[in-house]
Amino acid sequence: MSIIKSYFESEGLSDMQSPDLTLAGSGPKPVSVRQATLNREDLPAWSASQKILFRIAFVFFVLMSLPFNAGWYHNLFTIDWLHLHYRDLYDIARFSPGLGFLRIPRNSWLSLLGYGNWVVLLVIAVVAGLVWSLADSRRRQYNLLYYWLRVIVRYRAGIGIIGFGFTKLFPVQMPYPSLGLLNTHFGDFTAQKIFWLSIGIVPWYQVFAGIIEVAAGTFLLFKRTTTLGAVMLLGALGDITYVNFAYDGGVHEYASYFVLLALFLLIKDAPYIYRLLIQKKAVRPFYIYPQLNGWQKVTRYILKGISLFLFLGVLFYVQYINFRYDPYKQPAVKGVSELRGNYEVQVFRINGREIPYNPLDKQRWQDVSFENWSSLSFRVARPTLLDLSNGGGSPMQDVLRSFEITGTAGGRNAFHYFADTLHNVLYLENKNMAGARQGRFKKRSGKAVKDVNRTADRHAVAALWNADSIRELIMNEKYQINPLAYSTRRDREYARPVLPKTDQMVLHYRALQGGNRLILDGLDPNRDSLHIELTRTHHTYYLTPSTLNAGTY
Amino acid sequence: MTNLSEKNPATEASSWRNWEKYGFRFFFIFFALSVLPLSAAYWRNLGAIHWLHISYEDIFDITRYFPWISLAWSGYASLIIIAALALAGASGWALYDRSVCRRKTDLDKLHKWLRIILRYRLAIALLGYGLIKFFPLQAPYPSLSNLNTAYGDFTRWKVFSMSLGIVPGYQRFLGLIEMLSAFLLLNRKTTVIGAGIVIFFTGNVFLSNLAYDNGEGVYSLYLVIIALFLVSFDLGRIYSLLFQQKETLPADDALQWPPGWRANGRLAVKSVLILFFVIFYGAKTYSAYRLGDYYQLPQRKGLPGAAGVYTVSVFKWNGNDLPYALSDTLRWKDVVFENWATISVGTSRHLILDSTNKESIATEDLNRKYELSGSGGRQYYDYAVDSIHQALYLHNKNPHYPEDQWTLYYKRQGNKDWLLEGTDKRGNTVQVTLEKLARRYLLKEAAKTGRTELLRL
Repeated sequence: MSIIKSYFESEGLSDMQSPDLTLAGSGPKPVSVRQATLNREDLPAWSASQKILFRIAFVFFVLMSLPFNAGWYHNLFTIDWLHLHYRDLYDIARFSPGLGFLRIPRNSWLSLLGYGNWVVLLVIAVVAGLVWSLADSRRRQYNLLYYWLRVIVRYRAGIGIIGFGFTKLFPVQMPYPSLGLLNTHFGDFTAQKIFWLSIGIVPWYQVFAGIIEVAAGTFLLFKRTTTLGAVMLLGALGDITYVNFAYDGGVHEYASYFVLLALFLLIKDAPYIYRLLIQKKAVRPFYIYPQLNGWQKVTRYILKGISLFLFLGVLFYVQYINFRYDPYKQPAVKGVSELRGNYEVQVFRINGREIPYNPLDKQRWQDVSFENWSSLSFRVARPTLLDLSNGGGSPMQDVLRSFEITGTAGGRNAFHYFADTLHNVLYLENKNMAGARQGRFKKRSGKAVKDVNRTADRHAVAALWNADSIRELIMNEKYQINPLAYSTRRDREYARPVLPKTDQMVLHYRALQGGNRLILDGLDPNRDSLHIELTRTHHTYYLTPSTLNAGTY
Repeated sequence: MTNLSEKNPATEASSWRNWEKYGFRFFFIFFALSVLPLSAAYWRNLGAIHWLHISYEDIFDITRYFPWISLAWSGYASLIIIAALALAGASGWALYDRSVCRRKTDLDKLHKWLRIILRYRLAIALLGYGLIKFFPLQAPYPSLSNLNTAYGDFTRWKVFSMSLGIVPGYQRFLGLIEMLSAFLLLNRKTTVIGAGIVIFFTGNVFLSNLAYDNGEGVYSLYLVIIALFLVSFDLGRIYSLLFQQKETLPADDALQWPPGWRANGRLAVKSVLILFFVIFYGAKTYSAYRLGDYYQLPQRKGLPGAAGVYTVSVFKWNGNDLPYALSDTLRWKDVVFENWATISVGTSRHLILDSTNKESIATEDLNRKYELSGSGGRQYYDYAVDSIHQALYLHNKNPHYPEDQWTLYYKRQGNKDWLLEGTDKRGNTVQVTLEKLARRYLLKEAAKTGRTELLRL
């Protein structure tokens, strides 16, 4: 790579008549690279401060752009490329910057809203940059290295945002609200939930946002469209960063990571744009690209080809499959079709005692819905410990897909069920993991801790149905989606069906009058016997139904 | 024709290709017909403004001129008609220019004038919206009734507006971007940056208008068209610089203003516009924001001490006691007293909604319908209090239920509860006991503690 050629030459611009560049106004002369093949010595020298800044920036952005945590490599090396799940590729594209062994935990005061890891990298970069400056002080310029740094950052940002974008392009990141969520009052959501739902109700708009992100990422993979891609990335992710701060969305750090990368990529062209369009002066842009020899060219084509094939081709396909058959925030298994819909509770008996309807009753169910998928949702006017997470992640098992309950209060409950349709029995487990995941929460007040313990005690006594007796039902769940969506990732997670320690119920169901009436009999999590008679309601929502539905139910 | 602009030798020679000429004539007429306020209704509204007591709402209306020729296709027909007129006009103009005996029009100069007018038009539009977002007035925090309505009982438009209403800081950020692009447009040299931001920002607004069925679609599209036209001027240069990565010459779009009355006049007009649409309008929106003067919300105070959510523990209809029942369309499910003079009643009836989804500003409380527009599940009543007779006179705010009016006599029961008794216009009687609920909202609780704390609600 000793020979550098200017872009001018490659485009045959050496023949271009050079206009008189005496311009009105002061300011630096346009950067000019002349026609002939350039040797390093011909390139203008960088100033000392430019060189020091560059060295620091080089170390910093390389550290920011490469994965330094074991989990990422574990994922990469355990991928079964013949039975891919979209999440395999998504996890390659999605990593936050930071050194694995130096990672600052989220709830530490050092985390600085999540930016602590950036600071660590910056400190390392400053030290390394200064040492490098001492060692390599005679160097005149770093044009080529700058080019390669931009390549690294372009690919990091491009692949990262493509991974992000595809979950919107096939709208699964923000699902259309389930029946249970539609029946929940607006004030009973977190702000995060309200934002996610507000995009979920307009799937075509979500598709548009996805197209913007994937297009920005694609533009970043090509050097001539880099600036366009960076401008789009800056606009889109700048907005998303602010949205995350405003709605407490929790992804601000990752979103602003792309903002930072976009800003870095704009540094090169911004002065040209400023000079040409704002100062209205002529510009001769200065671009140098390495001239690659034979095998280097082949390597480049192969690497670029693999990136494009994997992240625009394969990811497109597996993401489509995910959207179609296994939307990652919704349970994928079909619900019992005769049960689906909204119900009013006509009769509610607990241990034989009938409780008349009163919206404030602390035991009686209200507002029961069976979703299109394997979930039951209902409301009880009793406070519950809330799961305030985003309901994301990549769980394969339906019970762990908790978007329909996270960030949601108002006495809403959601249970996942395994259906034994032969005997009309539902084995249900609570999808609210707040109690089970207590370790993740800060235990500040003694009262809160006591609440958790009480819930935990309940789990101990409430093992209503044990996994062995219905092992077959549990094992079968894996196969109840379209075979096109089978994957090794799914197999692995179902191979260890860790049942979360949450409340369980067993309910026998009888559908009468063509499904207009439904009778449930069984045991609730406290082993109290339930007898519930439901009448189907035909509530028409004012909210427009989705015209682009994820999943096949 | 005297050439005001001295050609800068180092700028791209302005030579018009034929298609550029045709295109320009079309757009010139298109914008002349759509930017200049030719509508009589606009001037009537302008005439109706009390200029001594002008409100920010009035100025907002001034900024928001759109040539409504036809309401068909949500107003898109207006743009199509104007485009058709412009096409006809452009053809005539081309013929005129081709006739040898006449002097040709100086397209360069017209183009420069057009750019000035469009820059100001676009900047004023952005200031109109930017300031009511910067001082968050455009989307108020959801009312108590709205917080107690099921998510599925709102239209998309209402969900959009409320989702913005819960984050005034984000509204402010959006307003800031609009104002920033307005300032960039007011400055000739930064026009392309400002217009570029508008393409992304208002383009996004346009698409979200389509997605959420908001009523501002055609207007935002119109603004995007203006921005696209402004950017198209520099498009060739951007392409040459960034994609072809080759030497690129700048363009000169400055009109030269000879010193004297012309230069002074220019300065005066610019100053007056900025003074009015930035400083004066900004002061007006700021004071409205400080006073909490949301144009969507009613102004009159409600029944003292009544604001809150109530469950209806007893409900007698014409003397018959109706127990709690979800699907009963007669029985009231719950009742909300707002801080202002609105009562809303939860109902199982499927309602015909009042769906005003445009930015329109009403002065009378009865017409301030934000709280009920796009919201089902509840009937909303404007009311007057007669404290001597302890009576409330209720009037359904939804124009689809004009007969739904009540006279209710109120009595306090204990500290928090109320007894209501009265008749509607048809002579039906109700007796109602309202028990106040101690409602806590996750929306507010999580905002206080953050999402990492344990919360039991």
